[in-house]
Amino acid sequence: MNWVKLRRSLLCWLVLSPIVVTTIFPFAVMLITALKPNTEVLTPAWWPSRIAWENFQTMWVATNFGNALRNSLYVSVLATLGSLIVSIPAAYAMTRFDFRGREFYRQFLLVTQMLSPIVLVVGLFRLMVALGLIDSINAVTVVYAAFNIAFSVWMLQSYFATIPLDLEEAAWMEGAGRTKALVKVFLPLAVPAVVVTAIFTFINAWNEFVIALTLLRSQDSYTLPIQIFSLVSGRYTVEWHHVMAATFAATIPVAIAFAWLQRYLVRGLALGAVK
Amino acid sequence: MTSKRVVAPYVLILPSFVLAAMIVIWPINELAQIASHSVNRFGQLRDFVGMANFGALLDDPNFIASLWRTGIWTLGVVGGAIVCSVPVALVLNEDFYGRDLARVIVMLPWAVSLTMTAIVWRWALSGESGMLNSALMELGLIDQNIQWLAEASTAFPMQILIGILVTIPFTVTILLGGLASIPDDLYEAAALEGAGSWEQFRHITLPLIAPFLNIALVLNTIYVFNSFPIIWAMTQGGPANSTDILVTYLYKVGFRLGKLGEASAVSLVMFGILLVFTLIYVRLTMSRRAGA
Repeated sequence: MNWVKLRRSLLCWLVLSPIVVTTIFPFAVMLITALKPNTEVLTPAWWPSRIAWENFQTMWVATNFGNALRNSLYVSVLATLGSLIVSIPAAYAMTRFDFRGREFYRQFLLVTQMLSPIVLVVGLFRLMVALGLIDSINAVTVVYAAFNIAFSVWMLQSYFATIPLDLEEAAWMEGAGRTKALVKVFLPLAVPAVVVTAIFTFINAWNEFVIALTLLRSQDSYTLPIQIFSLVSGRYTVEWHHVMAATFAATIPVAIAFAWLQRYLVRGLALGAVK
Repeated sequence: MTSKRVVAPYVLILPSFVLAAMIVIWPINELAQIASHSVNRFGQLRDFVGMANFGALLDDPNFIASLWRTGIWTLGVVGGAIVCSVPVALVLNEDFYGRDLARVIVMLPWAVSLTMTAIVWRWALSGESGMLNSALMELGLIDQNIQWLAEASTAFPMQILIGILVTIPFTVTILLGGLASIPDDLYEAAALEGAGSWEQFRHITLPLIAPFLNIALVLNTIYVFNSFPIIWAMTQGGPANSTDILVTYLYKVGFRLGKLGEASAVSLVMFGILLVFTLIYVRLTMSRRAGA
């Protein structure tokens, strides 16, 4: 134990305490409400008289959670794959080739990043109506994949730039073609970057709201955010213990993955956003 | 090999370009069409009306009010987030016990969908049985329940606070990147010359993280300006449109009232404003690269 560091630690935590408390507060509300017996939910006491684990079981049935979970997984996994399949070659081209229009493409991606779905939502809605794709989760998947391209190329590019070109050049010298060098030398080194990008794309798709709200019309096709939102909006009585249990179940796995990976995000964003 | 080098990058870029262009260019074209025509309730285009949809917006007091409120919302959230993030980033850049845990906690709101955050807060802020009221009562800070979401005067500031809370993680991330780029020997040199910590902050840290602050400022402005779920899931712009910002106004006009023409006009106005922000961002990053 080092006393100077200990004193400094106390001071640091003291400075951070307001934000730590405000951050944890909604999580506490979520967990405590989810575990309150349903007769106590509306009484304004903090602690439940007993822990009602059964809320999670009743919630699962009452909120049609399984179906929404399946939809969310389907949309998020396919959107992530789709976005990666087109972003990896683009990011590779952006880091390894100097070509005319490269700067234009960078700006183009930037603009797609700036235009959030909400600004385009009326146009997207009309596009899907014209294609007869309203209420199709596949259409939502494609839109998610497309909106994540800019972010993915950005992240991938910042990592790809740190992979030394020498390794590929060495492979060319030994007679490997460009494609072979790419597959045997470059891609294995790029795996961590791809995994991190994939997880963040997944989280983006998992959490998206406005497109799903606009394009999905029937309960059967709802993703988790829309399903949970539909339990709250426009209802006279809201079963808050179910809503909080559902929010908890939908949030915690993603939050854990994120907590584990956030340092990579710090690095990737710092490299990509500023350089 | 030479000819291949010229074609290859375009082939590699093409699929992502097509996909991204499809969801940007098509809708923008569509928006321009709808905004300049009269549209019936079923979405069929009728006569060309030029700027009439924009004119209708200017005559709608709710549009003007939403525009102002969007300004307050964006300034409040971005300003608040920057002011809170600088000390947080400075602390998280120190070496102390439990730093990894502190980083995880500060970053946590980023992982949760804004919709879920807003729904949890909507419950926490409920007037009769909300846990914020009962916590404040127990601490003796208030002696009767506050109906947080029943009036804009309490609902909107709360929404701004929540906006700040969810914007801090991204801002801190960018600032930590900036702090990591400052070499330690600068501080050592300054300490040798007798500079105190405030002077070190003022003359070393602040100027060197300024470009990162600028970028956080512009990117956050764009994200917050576009942010829909917090207000929509908490109040849907209510009561009586008193917490509407442009995005919620747009959604209401388009999908509740079915006035697609006016909604498209709002989109195009927002598009224009965003383009200005984007240009500022491009200039900032360009000047940084030219400077570096």
